[in-house]
Amino acid sequence: MLDRESTFAHPEIVKLLRTEFVPIAIDQAYQRRQKDTEGNYYRKIAAQGPRDLNGTTQGFYVASASGKLLLYNNNRDPEKVLRLMKQSATEFRRLPSSDRQATGLRDQQVDRRYSPAPPKGGLVIRVRARILDGYEPTDNKWRRIFQTATSRDNLWLTAEEHKSLAAGTVPDLVARRLARYHLVDNTRGEPPMWKDSEIKSIDLKISDGTINGNVHLRTASGDREYKADLHGWIESKGGRVTRLDLVARGNFRGEGPYTRGAPRGWFPLAVTFRLADGKDTADAIPPQGSRGWIQGYLR
Amino acid sequence: MRIRIAVLTFACLLSCRTAIADEQRSDSLTADAAAELLEELTPPADEPWRSIPWKIDVLDGQRTASAENKPLFIWAMDGHPLGCT
Repeated sequence: MLDRESTFAHPEIVKLLRTEFVPIAIDQAYQRRQKDTEGNYYRKIAAQGPRDLNGTTQGFYVASASGKLLLYNNNRDPEKVLRLMKQSATEFRRLPSSDRQATGLRDQQVDRRYSPAPPKGGLVIRVRARILDGYEPTDNKWRRIFQTATSRDNLWLTAEEHKSLAAGTVPDLVARRLARYHLVDNTRGEPPMWKDSEIKSIDLKISDGTINGNVHLRTASGDREYKADLHGWIESKGGRVTRLDLVARGNFRGEGPYTRGAPRGWFPLAVTFRLADGKDTADAIPPQGSRGWIQGYLR
Repeated sequence: MRIRIAVLTFACLLSCRTAIADEQRSDSLTADAAAELLEELTPPADEPWRSIPWKIDVLDGQRTASAENKPLFIWAMDGHPLGCT
């Protein structure tokens, strides 16, 4: 979310991306592993940069349609990014048309493992999380972005689960998926998910259109824990859920290898769930907890 | 004297346990508080980064870049930049 709040909040960068570039956003953990046309094309570009393809290839890349790399950058300073974007746009214009307008590629192969789509007849729920208090005050602008950040993810539900919810029942699998993969502190980066055995208790019930419950999650070592209450609303019409709003609020403690810098001790964490309307490009993005393992996530 | 110390120690331990339990306990989540949090955590629709026409398929981007004679800008992250964290 650093980039969303800094680089991609810069008016000139936004304007350039809207007019002079074709902007693409990806979780590179997929494309660098995909054994298909998209994976091959991404790796061709990334291999020209400094990153080893066996590890993360994260950063900003500017390339031509032919796959010629014009820029790799992993710096977060918007002014530097802007300058480099302008330089690479100039370089692009100097390329021959065979590079600039290379033949469009078709998906001749698709690696199904890394191309999951939302379940047919199911639901996509937008998930957001925020730490409500507990950080030490800071003047550091980057730290402040993390401290006030609202994270994003998607919760996917199958057609069967959709049917159950519309009928007023929360399937046990849905409650456990919601807890394991979505009641996490992902406000500073990729969070560790909960193991099934780390669900100490969960209760989630629908009564007269209201959802109520509570949850207790705790790692075996006790280094991470979340205790929360849940409250929300659900409405359905003709067997389809038309509204699903749910909030979890409680106290969390601990952090993961990629979410360092959590407040000390217990801190209040809220997670909200809201039915997606399918209008946002991000609605098609698989849940973070399903990475390369959609069957495991849904089972 | 020993009895007094034991009583005092027990009282202290009891009060520490109560303090920890209070710290961990979340106040019951009311409907009003839940509705407020739902709104609070829903981002405004006019966030600048959301006005950028992001594609999430690299090949779709490649075809558009070729057709529109533009370079691709790929924002590649650990975790999807539009959908995770």
